[in-house]
Amino acid sequence: MKLKVFTISLLLAGAACVSCIREEALNTEADIESCTLADDVLNRDPVIENEKVTLYLKKTADLSALAPEFTLTPGATISPASGTERDFSLPQYYEVTSEDGQWKKQYKVEATTTYNIPTLFQFEHVRTTKTAKGEYQIFYETDVSGKETIVWASGNSSYALTGVGSGADTYPTYQSNIGYRNKCLALTTRRTGDFGAKMNMPIAAGNLFLGTFAVLDALTNPLKATKFGIPTDAVPSRIQGYYKYKSGDTFYELDESAKDKLKPIPGKRDIFNIYAVFYESTEDMKTLDGTNALAEDNPNILAVAQITDAKETEEWTEFDLPFVFRPGKTVDPGKLEAGNYSLAVVFSSSIDGDHFSGAPGSTLCVDEVTMEYRDEEE
Amino acid sequence: MKKYAIAAVLLVASVCAATRTYAQEDRSGGIIRSLLLGLEYEVRAGVSIGGTSPLPLPQEIRKIEGYSPTFCFSIEGDVIKWFGEKQRWGFLFGLRLETKGMQTKAQTKNYSMEIFGDGGERIKGNWTGMVKTKYRSTFLSIPLVATYKVNNRLRLGAGPYVSFKTSGDFSGHVYDGYLRENNPTGNKVQFEGDRIALYDFSDNLRTVQYGVQAGVNWKAFRHLTVSGDLMWGLNNIFKKDFETISFNMYPIYLNIGFGYAF
Repeated sequence: MKLKVFTISLLLAGAACVSCIREEALNTEADIESCTLADDVLNRDPVIENEKVTLYLKKTADLSALAPEFTLTPGATISPASGTERDFSLPQYYEVTSEDGQWKKQYKVEATTTYNIPTLFQFEHVRTTKTAKGEYQIFYETDVSGKETIVWASGNSSYALTGVGSGADTYPTYQSNIGYRNKCLALTTRRTGDFGAKMNMPIAAGNLFLGTFAVLDALTNPLKATKFGIPTDAVPSRIQGYYKYKSGDTFYELDESAKDKLKPIPGKRDIFNIYAVFYESTEDMKTLDGTNALAEDNPNILAVAQITDAKETEEWTEFDLPFVFRPGKTVDPGKLEAGNYSLAVVFSSSIDGDHFSGAPGSTLCVDEVTMEYRDEEE
Repeated sequence: MKKYAIAAVLLVASVCAATRTYAQEDRSGGIIRSLLLGLEYEVRAGVSIGGTSPLPLPQEIRKIEGYSPTFCFSIEGDVIKWFGEKQRWGFLFGLRLETKGMQTKAQTKNYSMEIFGDGGERIKGNWTGMVKTKYRSTFLSIPLVATYKVNNRLRLGAGPYVSFKTSGDFSGHVYDGYLRENNPTGNKVQFEGDRIALYDFSDNLRTVQYGVQAGVNWKAFRHLTVSGDLMWGLNNIFKKDFETISFNMYPIYLNIGFGYAF
């Protein structure tokens, strides 16, 4: 009897013991969390993405000798070490190793003192990113020598989290072979499947823009996740290019009470949006985002170019949009010289896609986009 | 599996009906004959408290913030065959209809997960944040227990059992935290407020489980018994090919019951 009671007690004690919280494992993440430079050479906050850091420096900064200092995931290490002086005339690479030594991440760190935005966007170049189920594309542009100039942002990284996309052309933003000239940009409004619907985000419009997509905020604050705009040292005057558009069959609005979170709007056709915004970056509005990019009362906006005659068409159709300055807004040459202005260029396959309204299947193709800038010397 | 459940209900119902008849007649001839053969019968009802847990807890679980045993019942009919002249040792064969369940709320760090949606969606990554889990399964179990009679009132028992799942639910959601897509170096996405990700692994629960149990049975009155049994599952509650949860989980439950001995 005593033996049995003893055995049972032992078993219970064993259960209690093995259920204890064990010692915390070493960190597995390998992030650059912040980046600073001495001597106040930064013109904007560093843009830190998952594998890239962009440093916009003042015109007077010396690119050839910069010693960025990084803070990392606790316990992680970086090579070359934080504070090492390097020549940033070309992008430099760093490798971050997690505290447990099992994970490594390479960062490209880019510094620039000139804010040239290319005059021609051709959508000929993409890089692919692997996901659990497939891959998606990231567009970038190059100059005549083949050097990368700008990287386009899109919501593809958050669409990857819906688990729906498999191949690159099943994502909302992808490259098409049938362009106006060679390849082109294709944007298709997609349903976001089971997971997307459960989060009250039942559709995703294809989008492409100059700026950054903050995937960290993609679920909690999707309108704020699209950070529109990159610094420019020229004043844009027109944006011109070619498009094709076809609306999806059924237009839906968000309906949180429906099982698939969609309410069909019979007879309604979808339409796309193309716009560009020239604005001033200030301490309290560093970039525009989905909440304020076109707001009439946004004091930072100087000029907007937006398509007004968008239509469905199977032929390549030209758009030519002048930047229209808002009343009372003028360019301050000092601010322009200091690099305080930014330019956002946005393409979307559903004009209200940011509010989860649109017709799945709506496809916008865009190619050969030319930016014209004002000549400030005249 | 439904037919097991029906069989169990029928068995319990018939035993209950028999109980009433026997109670009225008080030890009818049949029972006395059984006693002479060394056979004893008992029906029991009980509640189980416990959890289905990885053993030991994986390092990814940093804190258990909430645990609710939920209401888990069991109904059991047993036959015991006593051996030898002294009838000290015996063998118990039973049929038990039981539920095992729990609800937990845990804080995790770098918890590897993969979720599949109804439409073939698939997300994989490492989760740091809160995980709420609801587990509830119904089983038809067969205990095969060696028993030892300490005295006329006290009986000890230990032995294996096998359980057949008749229904099961293992689901929950993750919230207040962040996901690293694919692996710890992937894109980081925040989940906050009403942004949650639901998961449901009910279809991945194993049908046949086994384990060991050990317990005490005390005859409080001539017919009324009080019993306590610890049931320890020895195989993972999930199917072998299920890899989303990277560690095995075992059901460990304590059952407290009252019985009627004939």
